Amino acid sequence: MRDIFNLIGRRLGLGLVTLLVISLIIFFMVELLPGDVAQAVLGQGATEDNLAALRKEMGLDQPAILRYLSWLQGTLIFDFGNSVVTGGSVSALIGGRLMNTLFLASYAAVIAVPLSIFLGVVIAMLRNTIFDRIANVVTLTWVSAPDFFLAYILILFFSVKWQMFPAISSLNPGMDFLELLERTFLPALVLIMITIAQMMRMTRATIVNLLASPYIEMARLKGAPPWKVIVKHALPNAWAPIISVVALNLAFLITGVVLVEVVFVYPGIGQALVNAVAKRDFPVVQACCLIFAATFILLNLAADVGAILTNPRLRHPK
Amino acid sequence: MSTLALSRYAFLITSSCVAVFKRNRTVIALCAAAIMLFLADIFTGGSTLLRYAVIGSVALGLSAAVSFGFRAFLVAVSPDKWAKEFRSLTLSASFGLIVIVLVLFTMVFAPWIAPYDQSEIVTSAFAPPDSNLWLGADQLGRDMFSRLIYGARNSVSLAMAATSAAFLIGTTAGLFAALKGGWIDQVLGRVTDIVISIPALIFALLMLSIFGPKSTVIIVAVAVVYAPRAFRVTRAVAGGVVAMDYVEAARLRGESTGYLIRKEVLPNCSAPLLAEFGMEFCFVFLLVAGLSFLGLGIQPPFADWGSMVRENATLISFGEITPLIPASCIAILTVGVNFVVDWMLHRSSGLKD
Repeated sequence: MRDIFNLIGRRLGLGLVTLLVISLIIFFMVELLPGDVAQAVLGQGATEDNLAALRKEMGLDQPAILRYLSWLQGTLIFDFGNSVVTGGSVSALIGGRLMNTLFLASYAAVIAVPLSIFLGVVIAMLRNTIFDRIANVVTLTWVSAPDFFLAYILILFFSVKWQMFPAISSLNPGMDFLELLERTFLPALVLIMITIAQMMRMTRATIVNLLASPYIEMARLKGAPPWKVIVKHALPNAWAPIISVVALNLAFLITGVVLVEVVFVYPGIGQALVNAVAKRDFPVVQACCLIFAATFILLNLAADVGAILTNPRLRHPK
Repeated sequence: MSTLALSRYAFLITSSCVAVFKRNRTVIALCAAAIMLFLADIFTGGSTLLRYAVIGSVALGLSAAVSFGFRAFLVAVSPDKWAKEFRSLTLSASFGLIVIVLVLFTMVFAPWIAPYDQSEIVTSAFAPPDSNLWLGADQLGRDMFSRLIYGARNSVSLAMAATSAAFLIGTTAGLFAALKGGWIDQVLGRVTDIVISIPALIFALLMLSIFGPKSTVIIVAVAVVYAPRAFRVTRAVAGGVVAMDYVEAARLRGESTGYLIRKEVLPNCSAPLLAEFGMEFCFVFLLVAGLSFLGLGIQPPFADWGSMVRENATLISFGEITPLIPASCIAILTVGVNFVVDWMLHRSSGLKD
């Protein structure tokens, strides 16, 4: 067991360092701005006095290192400073949106993960049949299509032609849960479709690779039925790669969310990020980027830890 | 329900029973798929789904036939050495090659193919298609068809430039790391670990918010985010080659690092690198399309597939498919490149399913 804790501890440490470096990149990238933030906010016509006043207000007259440290300290308690466009606090602006995005992402993940593993196993059982070929071509096509293409196709059919689900997911606070699920069905479906194809392909590839190993041959020769060979013999060894693919795809889901939210006008953090980029609202951009990057890193971390934990060789050392 | 529909179900159910009895997996699943399709059809009302399924399968069949013909053509016209390679093309890879050749052709000859200029306003906004404007007009009354053709030039060349930059940096660093080893290798490896854990879209958005939406910013952002991928692949492939005796021999001869890279290592890892280039191009192309879609890519009046989707998106709510055309161009090109990459990986690794 000591080995496992050592491995996990080292991995967590690496994740923490990565997070720190990324916060450095996100913060000091803005310092690269030609001129500085005050100049960018006020534009070319600003007078020296105005610039100096704004710099003082934003704390820009202090050295960058100090500002970085206080920013980092703020992020720990979810305080990202004030927006330079509206003047309001950033955390108030993105707090509710973050919840919405997390809801959408988990809605998609809860359906996509079990479904894709199930489908991957089924396709692995049907390998080298016509269905396998069709599934291969279809999933490859899916993976290659841009997210917004899928989104607009779904809108065209489900909301314009058949009028089953709304094309714009407007959320109000008093909605009951079922209505919420219905309103957000289309964006969730797009996310499911994006992630499911890749996860399915990887599950299939892992299991097919394992099926070539001698111990599976043995299980087959002793007369175990095909499903039992896969579920009892192949799957336990396949968990590690499958978990890392799942986590990686959930991380993709995080970036996929940005485009999907814009298409469906979903009030989430991705849309806030895109709006802030267009308006050059740096504190909001920094906050959103940090949240996205942190989620991405945490999911990757979870993947590695999961892979370590499910590896039978590591759990039962000789 | 009409007798026709009833007999259709009866036929399907009987044949699936027979198939179960005969233990034929293919037939069982085909029947199940057909039954599900019909049920979905009833659910959505009318025969729209059925019609699309028929259109889809006809299109699939046609493209398979064209790909088959293209492969035969390639085998026939090319010299013996190449013909052998082309004979191993799968149908999907052949389709991918057709797409790539077509897009390259459009890129080069865009001004001669397009009937109008990309920023020329020829009619009223959202004019429907007619014999003059094949795909109708966009939100400002510019010809969709011409913009689609110019879009091939603008979007694809931006993605190409960005991928090439990322790939050049990544492979050069990877080759150096493999050949030199030691602390250079270690440092580059750690930097890669960190950069690879930044989501590409997020980093690009950060860069664009700071430096404004310019093509050069996109190229730099993509180069930074995707170079580590190329680095890892190159490092892994070249690491195997460097251990070979002939590289050792060349080293003992006193050859320079540049010579070792060019003459000994690179020729022996070109196949996986080419596949990696294709794969990276797909990612970058989708990323750039996404940025353009968000209005942060190639700026107007230049035509670009991603932004064309966004600009004409309102048409979707009237049941028009015009905005889907540029989106499907993006999809088809990416699928085509992916198919070719799939085939190249299959060949170079000798992977067996």
